[in-house]
Amino acid sequence: MALRELPSSLRRMALRDARPTAAIASKCLRRYASGEAVAAAPARGEVPEDFRDLESESSLFTAFSPDEKIKAYDPIKRTQARKRELPPSRYQYRSPRYYRGPLHPHQPPPKSDPSSREFIPGPFSYTRLEQTYQSTIAPDLMTLAYVHKPPGTVTIPKSDRLRTWDDSSPYHKGRPKRGPRGPGETLRLIEQDINWRNIPKIEEVTVHSYIKGALEDSAYLHVAGMLLLSVTGVRPTVHKARHSEGRFGLRKGTPVSLTCNMRGEQAYDFVDKCINLVFPRIKDWPGIAGTTGDSSGNISFGFTREGAILFPEVEINYDMYPPKMIPGFHVTIKTTATSDRHARMLLTALGVPFYGKLID
Amino acid sequence: MASTHNSIRQMVSPLLRRFQSLSLHAQNTSKPSLRPFSTSPTLLAKPERKRTGDPRVTLIRYHLQHPATPRPLKFSRMRALRHWTIHRAWQLFRRKKLGAEELELQRMYQSMHETMEVLRTMDAPGTKDAGRLYRVALEKKGIFGKGGVPVEYARLQTDTPGKEAWDHSWTR
Repeated sequence: MALRELPSSLRRMALRDARPTAAIASKCLRRYASGEAVAAAPARGEVPEDFRDLESESSLFTAFSPDEKIKAYDPIKRTQARKRELPPSRYQYRSPRYYRGPLHPHQPPPKSDPSSREFIPGPFSYTRLEQTYQSTIAPDLMTLAYVHKPPGTVTIPKSDRLRTWDDSSPYHKGRPKRGPRGPGETLRLIEQDINWRNIPKIEEVTVHSYIKGALEDSAYLHVAGMLLLSVTGVRPTVHKARHSEGRFGLRKGTPVSLTCNMRGEQAYDFVDKCINLVFPRIKDWPGIAGTTGDSSGNISFGFTREGAILFPEVEINYDMYPPKMIPGFHVTIKTTATSDRHARMLLTALGVPFYGKLID
Repeated sequence: MASTHNSIRQMVSPLLRRFQSLSLHAQNTSKPSLRPFSTSPTLLAKPERKRTGDPRVTLIRYHLQHPATPRPLKFSRMRALRHWTIHRAWQLFRRKKLGAEELELQRMYQSMHETMEVLRTMDAPGTKDAGRLYRVALEKKGIFGKGGVPVEYARLQTDTPGKEAWDHSWTR
């Protein structure tokens, strides 16, 4: 009975002595490591001398026989049991090119799906700056700007910032509320107290360069594009002049400027490069102007031609670019902070010095 | 065997002959013609356009316009499934990591909150210096000004930190 309970291969091994060894060798020339292990394994319970010191739970003692799995795998049977035929193996799902609304039967997959057209692979690395931010800077900023609200504090609701319509016309029904008064006025962001969910962090970095020489010669634009591409790792977008401007020699429709948008690891990498490699090497650099910022958490600064040369990607093959065509560029760091002072606090913690009067 | 060979040869031979004649003819007539096709004098011919501009710019233009994007990946069913599985596992791993980081921050925040509550209710009202510690702990003096965060704070983490943490003897 005991013999029958053991797996088939084990049984074979048990009966091994009765047969001539040569016959077995001719039968199965293949060598299975697991089979040998089974052969080495004695019956359950008793442990041989050599294995006494080892742990009792070991893969050497498990009586695993590959035969059962192999027998259970019957592709023909599986194929016949299938109700519908599978699509051919080369078939690839392609998400629809256009989004045709929520009621259309063909819905595109989510952006995180590799088959989506908007899928962006990555991140491929966990940058040093991001790691430091996550482990050190974020908790410290949270502690630094902690505002205590005792339990039971009554918050007085503020009046609505958007103006409502007086219901003088039946068409006012269902209209969205009106913005603030005055031409070009928009609602400003309100600074929120920092808590564990809204610690300011770098969201996006935009590099922008206006190339003056591109008005006469497109070579300036192409060289600048190559330089920005190598510095940021993102292919720049070309922008055309929107208006003719005689004083600058601008004609409407002339391609004049380039921008690159970086997010995630690329943005962190770029900021890291700026802070640790480029800023310390710029001659007589006072820091970033304290007056920068658009009062909603975006900080801008610029690199001159000399600063652009200091980037390691440019420096390493400086000869690739005609020297007089190397451009300077502007950098805008967009943070999740909703006020300049919070954004500045984040950048200071990352190691960016500010000079002059600080303006919020 | 021999008969078939002969027949094939008979079939092919006219072709062969023709090819031989053609190649011979080509050899005979391949002399360079001395007289130009045009009858106008050579002086009036347009000079060959010289390449102007920097060769570096040409090279940059070539590389900017060269379509380096490979065709999209095409996988068989099983291979696509394997990729999909790995992708899902990676997404799950990232999600868990982000969640753990956020939970850790929340835990810190809550412990700060509890500490502040203890400080606030420590002293009986009316005693001397009641709530002084609470007040001092919540002071925000100078954190948004210059030097709110010292420059020395901004040191990124490294796998192998230097033996000497800060070189105090260094001068410009």
